Formats: sequence, C-alpha cells, structure tokens
Amino acid sequence: MSMPNTDSLPLTAAAASTSTNSTSRNSLWWDAFRRFKKNKLGVVSFYVILLYVIIAALAVAGILYPDISVPNQADAYASISLSHPFGTDIFGRDILGRAIHGTVTAISIGLLASTLSLVIGLVLGSVAGYFGGKVDAAIVWLYTTVDSIPYILLIPSLTFVLGRGLINVFIAVGLTSCVTTARLVRGEFFKHKHRDYVMAAHALGANDRRKIFGHILPNVAHLAFVQFGLGFVSAIKIEVILSYLGLGVDPSQPSWGLMIDDAKTSSPVRTGATSRQRRCLCLD
Amino acid sequence: MSTQNQPLIQVKDLTKSFPIKGGLLGREVASVKAVQGINLEIRKGETLGLVGESGCGKSTLGRCIIRLIEPTSGQVIMNGQDITTLEGEGLRALRRKMQIIFQDPYASLNPRMTVGSIITEPLEIHGLFNSKKDREDRVKQLLETVGLRPEHFNRYPHEFSGGQRQRIGIARALAVEPEFIVCDEPVSALDVSIQAQVINLLMDLQQKLGLTYLFIAHDLKVVEHISNRVAVMYLGRIVEIAEGEELYKHPTHPYTKALLSAIPTPNPRRTEQRIILTGDVPSPIRPPSGCHFHPRCPIATEQCKGEAPQLKLTRADHQTSCLLAKPQ
Repeated sequence: MSMPNTDSLPLTAAAASTSTNSTSRNSLWWDAFRRFKKNKLGVVSFYVILLYVIIAALAVAGILYPDISVPNQADAYASISLSHPFGTDIFGRDILGRAIHGTVTAISIGLLASTLSLVIGLVLGSVAGYFGGKVDAAIVWLYTTVDSIPYILLIPSLTFVLGRGLINVFIAVGLTSCVTTARLVRGEFFKHKHRDYVMAAHALGANDRRKIFGHILPNVAHLAFVQFGLGFVSAIKIEVILSYLGLGVDPSQPSWGLMIDDAKTSSPVRTGATSRQRRCLCLD
Repeated sequence: MSTQNQPLIQVKDLTKSFPIKGGLLGREVASVKAVQGINLEIRKGETLGLVGESGCGKSTLGRCIIRLIEPTSGQVIMNGQDITTLEGEGLRALRRKMQIIFQDPYASLNPRMTVGSIITEPLEIHGLFNSKKDREDRVKQLLETVGLRPEHFNRYPHEFSGGQRQRIGIARALAVEPEFIVCDEPVSALDVSIQAQVINLLMDLQQKLGLTYLFIAHDLKVVEHISNRVAVMYLGRIVEIAEGEELYKHPTHPYTKALLSAIPTPNPRRTEQRIILTGDVPSPIRPPSGCHFHPRCPIATEQCKGEAPQLKLTRADHQTSCLLAKPQ
C-alpha cells in the first residue's frame, strides 16, 4: 500500500497563511499581544496602570516630592495653593505628595500580596486536585478553616502576632486571599487530570512533576492570571481598610488608608481632603 | 503479516472493576465490572481488531493491557514477562515498548505545546538522543514518516485539521519506537475520507516498522479492512474471536451474527434478514447471570441463565463463548 499523498490534504487557513512566518511570530504570546492591541479599552486601561506605575517609580526615585515626611507645624491644614495643590495635613505635610507616595505602598502591597497568594493558591490547588484522596482532604480542610474566619478579624489577628508593618500586611493578605485561587485551581486539575493529553503523557512515562507543571498547569494558568488581577485590587483595598483601622502599615509610611483616617479627623476643619483620597482609590 | 504465530502479548484472566463509592463514609457500595476475566493472545506483527458496543469495556481492556489504568486482577505477559507487577524503572522501560493512539485528536494533544515539543517529549522522558539538535532532527523525520512536513515543528495543534492532528498523535506514539500500539478508535472521530488515509498510514507503518496493533473500533467495516484477527466483546467478556474473514463469513455467536447483520450493504436487493436485538445493553454494575447475552439472545435456553460459557474452539482458529455453539 502506498503512503497517502499528504499534499492533497487541505491545510487549514491559519496553517497555510503562517507557513512563511518566522517561529517567534507564531508563538501564543505573540498572538495574545496582537489580540490585546485590538482591544481599545484594554489598551487604555493598560496606560492608566502604566501611569500609576510611573508615578510610583518617580516617587521611589525621589524625583516627585522627595520630602513628604518633613513636618511643618506652621503650615498645618493649609488650604489649596500652588505649592500645595491639595493642601496640607495636620502636620503640615503636602497631601498630594503623600497621595503619590501612597501609590508606592498600594502597588507594592498589590504586587507582593497577590503574588504570594497566587503561589500558595497554585501549589495547594494543584497538589490537592492532582493527587486527590487524603492529600486533597487535608488541603481542603486547611483552606476552608482559614476561609471560615472573617478576614477582617483574621488579618488584624495575624498583624497582632506578626507585628505592624508593610511586610506583615503582605503575608496576612497573601495567606487569606489564596483560598479562592486554590479552590479554582483544584477544580480545574480535577477536570484536566483525566484528559487524553495527560493520559498520553502518562503512557509515555512522564512523572507527576512533568504532568503537573508541563501539562496541566499551562492549561490552568489563565485562571491564575485573572486571579492575580483580582487579588491585586482586593489587596490594595484590604490594605486601605487595615490602615484606616490603624492595623496596617506603620503610621510614618504614607498610605491611602491612613490619609483617609487623617482627613476624617480634620473634616470639620476643611472638607475636600477625604474625597481626594477616595478619588485616588476609585481611579485605581 | 502474521507469518509467525508467536504471541507478543498474553492476557490471562484480566479483570477491571471501578468501585462506586457511596454513603456517608464513602464505602464501596457496588462496582462497575468493565472487564471480566479476559483471556487473549496478541501475536507478533498482527492486528487484532476489537469490536463491541459503546460501554462494553473495549477501551478499558486496551488501557489495562498497556497499564494506562491498573487492572484489578489477572496478568498481562509480554515477551514472557509479567508486566502487571512492574514498577519504577521497569515500568518506565515498558512505556517504551507499548504506546496508545487516542480517539479524539482534539483532546489528546496539549493545546499549549507546539507540535515539536509534543513529539520531543517522549524523547526527553526516555533520554533518547543527547543533543537538542539530534532530537529535533528525529522529530522532523517522524513528522515526515507520518505524512506531515518538517516545517510543522513550531506550529500549535489548533492549526491542524482532525486528520493531521491524528498523525501528530501517531508520531508521538512512534517516537519511542514501540513494539505494540493500542489504537483506541483512532478513526472514529474523523471524516470518512480522512479515515481511509489514517488507516492506510497505520497499515503502512506496521509493515515498515513491524508493529503489532490492538485496533479498537465499533465500525465493523474498518476493522475488517485492517485486522488479521477480530475479537468481539460484549459486556466485559470476549464472546468470539477468529481470523477476520472467517469471523465475517461464519459467525457462530448469536451476538456476532446480529452485529454483522447490521452492517449496511450497498445492495438494495439484499435478501438476508437483519437480526434486531431487543432490549438495552444490561448495566455492567449488575450484569445478568450465566451468559451475559442471554436476556437479548434470540436462541437462549434455560441453561444459558445459569451457566457462564467459556471460549471454546468451534472451527479452525475460531473460538466462541456460547453454550449452544457446536464445534464443526
């Protein structure tokens, strides 16, 4: 019997059109980038985020408002002026400057806390979902226990134990928000681990590590990306709430939550300061 | 093709049951008896066709033989070695000798991997070829063997048609140079025109590489075309096994007769009677007593309800598991 003539096989349109392209232009990342460029709202949102990052970077570099912590009692509660576009607070510190430096706190909390929660959630979820049985039962018990405590109580108690400060807020927020990720990832692993492509890897002699990280995880990663974004936003919100309650970052550190608290006490003196901090949050 | 009648694989009393857990404590309340005491021999270089209705345990049997799922009891002997007890390094070595081609070419390829990395993976797992360049060359050669082009190396599965994807699956299975391949309904998901190409490719590869196939299908015509011998399965048991032509011309089991009478023929004046089976396939959780086929069998007697038939020689190289079949 002769080999079938494959040239007569109809190639799919995509395959035919990309056959001359170089390999790098054919990757899934490149495809994702092309789709992203077409999404106007996505691009605009990207620039807004980029703006925040640039502001934070300039603040860290000491270019924007390098001396925000210098108290100037004579200037307390100064109203809006050219040198203080948002006015000053109780210690005479520039509010715009502190708001800008609060961006640094917010972004670092968002990044680190959601990264931590993502890593913990991915590991717990994939191990539970892949191995199932007793391992699964133990991990599910662990995270449902954490989840059963209201986070508004759990995070303060964690910060009491660990002490106040930025790092401890990272850890507290990361530990509590990993539950959703773990749940979602576990469910996806259950779904994927009996799919044919994982079976094929098993038949080829692939070990657990290869099956988890090489095969299933890349097919579950889209969840992780979405969870990262959501976790970022909620981490910032939790930090604001904690700082507002006086449980978050150190008071010397600029934070939007602290500033809302500050502005609240001064509101009889001068309205507007509170709403300005809130606006920062809304934009975020 | 099967000039030597040496067995490559012997299956002895193989059973597989899946537990059904229930109740508050998750105790086993019942089990699905998917495969029940199969005895089978697959000869070197042959294609053994395995047919039967959906849910009769064909795929489970195939997957148990290559230890993709663990059999509940019984033995599988390959080249004189019991492979059901292998573990660790021995099991890994076995994976090189036996491979599987799946039914669904869409589900069996990881959508996040390029064709190149899908086929390179088995080479990496088994440490074949040392340099990346050698592996790439080997994969490109494999792509050509299955009728694809080396340029397809960096493409993703979604860029291919069903038939081409099935070729990628075949190339992946061939990468480890196996002796035995379980083809688990490899053409059932394809267009008829593509089916022929893939079947011809499989037959061609068999001749070139001296492969042995267990070809699982529910399409009797496809099985007739590719197989040397054909086994018919019903509810976890093999009811008849014979040379392909022999089975199609002289079916002795009433179930085989009914199956064969259902094949459509392009002759409008066909006179032979179609045997219509009544009732549904019984549940493998509570299979019928005695001969599993007796509730639907047109010729069943009282005896069939009580006594389970064994495979026995009814004609030359033709075994039937029916109490009423007479050796001829």
